[in-house]
Amino acid sequence: MRNIVRLAIKAWPELRAELLRRGMFRPQEKADLLRCRAEHKEGVRQTPLGTVQFASLLARADAQFAARAVLRDMLTADELLWLDRLLRFQKRNEKRDELTRIVERAMEGRKGNVRSRR
Amino acid sequence: MSAVAGEVPEAPGNVLVNSVVKNLTSFAARAWVKRWIITFTAPTGVGKTTAVDYAERTLPFDHQVIRCKQITTRYTILRAMGLAPGEKWTIHGRNWMRASDLYDLAVERVRARPYLLVIDEADRLRMDCFEILRDFWDDVRLPMLLIGNEVLTEKLNRQHERLFRRIRIRFEQRPLREADLRKVLEFMGYEMADEEFALLWKLVGGSPGFAEALLENANEIAASQGVKRGIEALEGAVRYFPTFRKVV
Repeated sequence: MRNIVRLAIKAWPELRAELLRRGMFRPQEKADLLRCRAEHKEGVRQTPLGTVQFASLLARADAQFAARAVLRDMLTADELLWLDRLLRFQKRNEKRDELTRIVERAMEGRKGNVRSRR
Repeated sequence: MSAVAGEVPEAPGNVLVNSVVKNLTSFAARAWVKRWIITFTAPTGVGKTTAVDYAERTLPFDHQVIRCKQITTRYTILRAMGLAPGEKWTIHGRNWMRASDLYDLAVERVRARPYLLVIDEADRLRMDCFEILRDFWDDVRLPMLLIGNEVLTEKLNRQHERLFRRIRIRFEQRPLREADLRKVLEFMGYEMADEEFALLWKLVGGSPGFAEALLENANEIAASQGVKRGIEALEGAVRYFPTFRKVV
C-alpha cells in the first residue's frame, strides 16, 4: 500500500472524504482507499467541509499528508491563508516548519522542492 | 519607506485600538526617538500582526516593516532593505557576493535617510539574519522593533547573546482581559450570547486569533446544519482543536 493511502487512512474521516471528493488521489490510491473504506463500512459524508473546517483539519493532520494535499493543489487561496494562520498557533517542530514553507510557497504560487537546508 | 515627513497618516478604521496596538505603536515611537533596539513579545493570536499593520499605516516617521516567513532568508531581508520597492538586483554572482553588495547598499540607504526597522514574527528569523541585524546596529545604529512570540526572547537569549546585550527594552505583552477580548470580537463583527463567550474565554483566554478560528469553525458547522450558530456549534468546533478539548 502506498504511503499516502496509509496516511489517508490514519487521517480524520471527514478530511479523507473531503479530499476524495476533491479528487486528490490518483486512480490506484483511490481504489485502495475505497477498498479500505468498504472494509471499515465507512459512510460517505454528503456535505462538503467549509473553508476554515477544512484548513483546521489539515492543520491537525499529519504534516506529510497535509503537505501532499497542498502540493496537489487541493486548497483555494482562502484555505491556504487559514492553514497558514492555524499552523502558526501550533507548537513548532521540523515537520511543521517544512509544511509552513510549503504553504507559504503555494501562497506565492510556487511549488516543487521546498526542503530547507539540513 | 512608509511615512513621508509632514504628512499626517490616517488611522485605519478596521482596527480596534486596544492595549496591544497602543503598546506596540508607543514602543515603535520610543525605539525611533531613542535609536534603540526593542523586543515586543506576546503569545500567538493576541493581535501583534494586526497591531503591526496599524502601526505601518500610522507611524508619523520613516519606517520599514518586514514580515518574516518560514522562507525568509538573509538575502530576503537585505533585498527588502537595500533595494527600493520594484527595483531589481541585476548583478549576478555567488550569493555571498550579492549579499555583501546588498548589505552595503542597505547601509548607505540608512545613512542617507535613517528609519525604524520593524520586524514582525522575528522569532522565525534564522541565525544569520540576527547576525545581520546586529551588524546594522553596529554600523549605522539602526533602530529596531523586533516582534514575536515567547520563542523570540528564548532564541535571542540562548543563541544571540551579542544582539541580546544590545536590546534596551524587552517588553512582554499580556493576553487581553475578558472585557477587551469581548470588545475586539464584537468589533470584528461576532455577536455572541454570554454562555458562548464564557466558553470561548475558558478555551482561548485573551487570544482573539484563536477565538476567531473557533468562531469561524462554529459558523461553518452551523451553516452546514442550516441553523444559527449556538453553543452546540461552538462545542462542535472544539474537536478541531485537540489542545482545547482538555479544557472543556
